[in-house]
Amino acid sequence: MGSEIACQSCDLLVNVAATKHGQSASCPRCGGFLTRCYDNTDQRVLAFASAGLMFLAFASSYSFLSLSRSGVESNITLLQAPAALWSYGMPEVGALVAAFIIVIPATVLTMMAVLCFLINQGRYNPWLVPLAKGVFLGQHWSMVEVFIIAVIVALVKIAAMATVVIGISFWAYAAFAICFTLAVSSLDRYQCWERIEALRAQ
Amino acid sequence: MSDLPATAAKSHLAACHMCLKLAPADVHQCPRCGSAMHLRKHDSLQRTLALLITACLLYIPANLYPIMYTDSLGSAEASTIMGGVVLLINLGSAPVALVIFIFSVMVPSAKLMAMFYLVWSVQRQSPIDRRKRSTLYRITEFVGKWSMVDIFVVTILVALVQLGGLLTIQPGIAALLFAGVVTITMIAAENFDSRLIWDNMEEENSAN
Repeated sequence: MGSEIACQSCDLLVNVAATKHGQSASCPRCGGFLTRCYDNTDQRVLAFASAGLMFLAFASSYSFLSLSRSGVESNITLLQAPAALWSYGMPEVGALVAAFIIVIPATVLTMMAVLCFLINQGRYNPWLVPLAKGVFLGQHWSMVEVFIIAVIVALVKIAAMATVVIGISFWAYAAFAICFTLAVSSLDRYQCWERIEALRAQ
Repeated sequence: MSDLPATAAKSHLAACHMCLKLAPADVHQCPRCGSAMHLRKHDSLQRTLALLITACLLYIPANLYPIMYTDSLGSAEASTIMGGVVLLINLGSAPVALVIFIFSVMVPSAKLMAMFYLVWSVQRQSPIDRRKRSTLYRITEFVGKWSMVDIFVVTILVALVQLGGLLTIQPGIAALLFAGVVTITMIAAENFDSRLIWDNMEEENSAN
């Protein structure tokens, strides 16, 4: 057994032992993705995750977008966007948006950084299992890249009515989105769990 | 020897949905990560179908009611999802209109139809185009979250466009309904077990 995976989309048993650094394996029957292998997962994830978290801290501290028309100005930060929905009597949508664009990505990224730091220590730690579970459950529900597209669409919509200025926070958020995507794609589900098991068996 | 493909189920193994660990099919808790284990997702088709019907019911008012109100110099104007697309075309930004049209109109409806088709085809144990249906499922799963674009656009507009009496934008009830449609279809896709598409293949092959 050991290096066999049951394809998640068709249940075929595939041996993935021959996957090497930088390669990915997909199912020969249905074409579904199986695993991707990096020798330096820990370093990659730690680097992208810590950079991403710093960008997010920037992104939530400064002006995200500002708008002016005939001398009247309006200015928002990243956190004020979902908060506005809340104040208009839509707390559910506000909470959902805040979760998808800030809370879940930030939590997942933090957990990924801690997880890879602990794995890199080379010792088994009882926190590894819950951390890995949280990461793989949460990453599916992050929508950072969708939000970037939404900002661009919103800019075009308002540009006809008023003057918009893109704040420094937007660029920081875009950098955060890139780091997040790279970090998520560097941590492979199968490889990560195999390593946790190897550490436990020591 | 037969050239039947060796699946985990045929070898009496169940794969953990969380950590991909293979364990004997009668084990109910994953030996590696402790998640609940089962050969196939429980009541996959019923759950998926129930969620799909819920999403369909929400989808109707989500398109009929306004998603936002634009209040410009005292005159308020309500716009629905389709209304927003038309407005963007009139403003001369056809590419952005296309983006909104694809993500908020085409993707959700195509996704609902694709999921209904998948559930129906699995229910009648259809043998055709298994690989294509697998791909269809993966695409459906991937594009799901992109429908949130319109909700995020409304979020940004509502927060940003607050210029007193000059120009204000307020959210409409359709924002809540549409966010529900997107979230529920994402959960529906997650509940669907695409291995069911392939499950009856072995029996057919051995019957031939």
